[in-house]
Amino acid sequence: MTDFESSETWPTDEVLGEPIEEDVDHPNEARVGWGVDRRKFLALAGGLGTAGVLSATLGPRLWEGFFSSPSKAPAPLKLALSPKPAVSQASSSAKKPLILVTLYGGNDGLNTVIPYQTSIYESNRGTLAIDPSKVLPLGDGYGLHPSMPGFKKLWDAKQLAVIQGVGFANPNYSHFESMDIWQSGVPGEPVSSGWLGRWLDATNSSPLKAVSIGPTMPTLLTGVRVQGAAIPPGKLVLPGDSTEQLLFATLSQINSGEPQLLSEAAAASSNLIQLSHQMGPTLSRTATSDPLHLKDANPNSLAANGGAALAIANGGGGQSTPNVLATQLSIVANLILAGAVPQVYSVELGGFDTHVNQLTTQERLLGELDAAVTAFVEAMANTPQGNDAVVMIYTEFGRRVSANSSAGTDHGWANNVLITGPTVKGGFYGEPSDLARLQEGNLVFTTDFRTVYATLFDKVLGVDPKPFLQGSFNSFSMV
Amino acid sequence: MDTRSALALLYRRAGFGASSSELSQASALGFSATLAELLGGLQQADPAADAIEVPTMLQPPFYEPKSLNTPAAIAQLNQTLSQERIALTDWWLGRMVASNNPLKEKLTFFLHCHFPTAISKVRFPAYMYRQNQIFRTLGSGDFANLTTAVSTDPAMLIWLDAGTDRMPDPNENFARELMERFTMGIGTYTEFDVRAAAFAFTGWHLNNATGQFAIAPKLHSNTPQTFLGHQGITTGQEVINIVTRTSACAQFVVCSVWSRFAYPVKPSDPLVVELASTYSNDRNLTNLLRTVFEHPNFLSATTATGLIKQPVEYVVGALRALKIPAARIPAIRPPIMNALASLGQVLFDPPSVGGWPQNEYWLSTSAALARWRFAHQLALIGDVSLVADSPPASRVEAAGELLSVTSWSPSTAAALKKASVNPHTLVTLALVSPEYVSN
Repeated sequence: MTDFESSETWPTDEVLGEPIEEDVDHPNEARVGWGVDRRKFLALAGGLGTAGVLSATLGPRLWEGFFSSPSKAPAPLKLALSPKPAVSQASSSAKKPLILVTLYGGNDGLNTVIPYQTSIYESNRGTLAIDPSKVLPLGDGYGLHPSMPGFKKLWDAKQLAVIQGVGFANPNYSHFESMDIWQSGVPGEPVSSGWLGRWLDATNSSPLKAVSIGPTMPTLLTGVRVQGAAIPPGKLVLPGDSTEQLLFATLSQINSGEPQLLSEAAAASSNLIQLSHQMGPTLSRTATSDPLHLKDANPNSLAANGGAALAIANGGGGQSTPNVLATQLSIVANLILAGAVPQVYSVELGGFDTHVNQLTTQERLLGELDAAVTAFVEAMANTPQGNDAVVMIYTEFGRRVSANSSAGTDHGWANNVLITGPTVKGGFYGEPSDLARLQEGNLVFTTDFRTVYATLFDKVLGVDPKPFLQGSFNSFSMV
Repeated sequence: MDTRSALALLYRRAGFGASSSELSQASALGFSATLAELLGGLQQADPAADAIEVPTMLQPPFYEPKSLNTPAAIAQLNQTLSQERIALTDWWLGRMVASNNPLKEKLTFFLHCHFPTAISKVRFPAYMYRQNQIFRTLGSGDFANLTTAVSTDPAMLIWLDAGTDRMPDPNENFARELMERFTMGIGTYTEFDVRAAAFAFTGWHLNNATGQFAIAPKLHSNTPQTFLGHQGITTGQEVINIVTRTSACAQFVVCSVWSRFAYPVKPSDPLVVELASTYSNDRNLTNLLRTVFEHPNFLSATTATGLIKQPVEYVVGALRALKIPAARIPAIRPPIMNALASLGQVLFDPPSVGGWPQNEYWLSTSAALARWRFAHQLALIGDVSLVADSPPASRVEAAGELLSVTSWSPSTAAALKKASVNPHTLVTLALVSPEYVSN
């Protein structure tokens, strides 16, 4: 029996109750100027659901028809890269979860993994240089930002890999083009498929194999034929009675020869039915639990109403600010621990475009990152489903080495990539960019970013990286 | 394309869709006269929208810094701003729903997407309102004037840190995004131009006490810069004058307009190049819109199936179709805000200076659920009498009339036909059909 619920929610006259963060208490901070900041709509989405819940059930046989109906796949999109399908999974061993944490806006890597013992760092950064006595030392002259004590613990436990000097040739100062390069995995001419989207294509995967948490789907999970699914936070309750749900599935069928956007709209609805069928019960069951344990409160408070799995944690950020990354990672943790279908998860944190007053903004954001990611790794450790989980943390570019006159930094080039997980082999990888040999005032990359992807394809997803990346790249050994 | 379909398309793109009676009236007028009326509306008042009361908002100076010294005072201010923001969103949605002059609100929405500025950083709804009024009052005129007005307005000064540009190392945020996102597009300028422009914008700031733009002479660099080949540039106004008169800007603006009103194109598309040369004569957005809507490629299958409704267009279009009066928006705010938030398009709060993407971006699994939830609720409270009062055999057709959809695909028609015993279910399904989700 399918655990199917329907929400007959009559709109009420209640006023929008969720406070919207205004940050008036941090008037000098550079706020979320750039970057996808989901906090607002997560708060809104979480705060407004009110539901009188009716149950309706549909026999499994009824559903079989929907899922086995032919031609569900959207028409092929015209994209530049089209790897041959059906790359076989190299090993049949238990799947290793892969979690991508995208930091939007361009996190300043130089103040994240800090070369705090070099005078060039100090002289270039001036007042933005982190006090060496507060840096959390990693050895080799590097240390973590003081708001990352959790990452320091991961480092000490040899579970944090720092890949230095990561970037690509002909770096780009645009947030959007740089992020497109990172997410497509193709430097140079932009392509519209993502590096993991092409993996979905090649493995003939279900859209549920690679998912994002929230309303929209990033490019990295967009394939030529298969698009990853976006998981709506909170309980997954479809509207309407069983008739409405059945007919919704009917109109989600793709008609041959119809325009591409119409097919894609139908495919999104069809994927929703599939999501609800395969993961709805899990999402509904876990909507009230927080494996990250970032808040001491009664876990039931997480589900005060509708989609409130969101109001989960306040992991080291502002006073009453829900840590939006912790919320997403909490949902991911629930799904992994429940043995859900997805293997790849995409989560994100925005606001890193620190042209002004960088110190306060970055401190807050790295604190949120630290709390959420370290709690996540802890929740995964020693569990059969999560012990092999690998988390990759990246951003679109590093920032200019020299501070500007607004106590901030402008767009730059190379950066670190952080990889962590219970079974990751910690340490430094790659070569740090040479602070004495800057170009246009920027760090020059030493490691092609596709080396990181090659490692993940090879060691986490168990496929030959070559068909997905233009060129051959040796894997690192941290996984 | 038959006249009725052409007019339905025009109303979806130049407005938020047409009712069945509007379409009948427009059919009597014909395409040219209807277009002239829509364009003429850009220069006219909109009494129905103007009847929506502008909310009361704190004005600058918003607070005495010294008075904000307790958590309670901060919480109080945050609560006030948060309530203002809700009221301001109601106001704009209300205008879009009430408008008899829909192109004006549509153009305002387009400009919000072209110059994306987010309240999450600007903080003060009064400033977002001011910017919104600039879009509404200057948006139909000269793009260069509009760019100057937007750039010297508090919302943009705060949003892109222009107010903090100072010597000796000015931050590049506004200088870069002005060229990359608002006027020229990437690849049409160099990093030297970004630096030169950043110097020209030094000293630009917002006077927090008065809420007025000002230039601080002490922070301003008078060193002449060479910018895009022009020598001796020292002021931000010169930079704006130069960028808005480049051919790159003409292509960028045409591309932006065509991509949002017809179908997505690249700046290098021959069609864009063709329209850009006309646009360059006067840089007038009303004339550009006329050129777009009169272009033979506008009334084509490519246009008709070339766009997905942005969430705001989806929600406003549905509210209008189901005759929800603007005055009722505050009372049914939860499902409306829930839909916009869970679709990822909250008014006044774009995710970045890149604004909101198009088409596929709105076709996620999550979005499918958000639209369905909204449609289900709206069909319960909206006016579906056009469908309900029709005999069951003609209800599918009536749903098309209600939503201004001129034809259903076989699978949609099959689903709607089976739902025709229940008008509520039928309208819900019609609202989530691929045909209605597309624009």
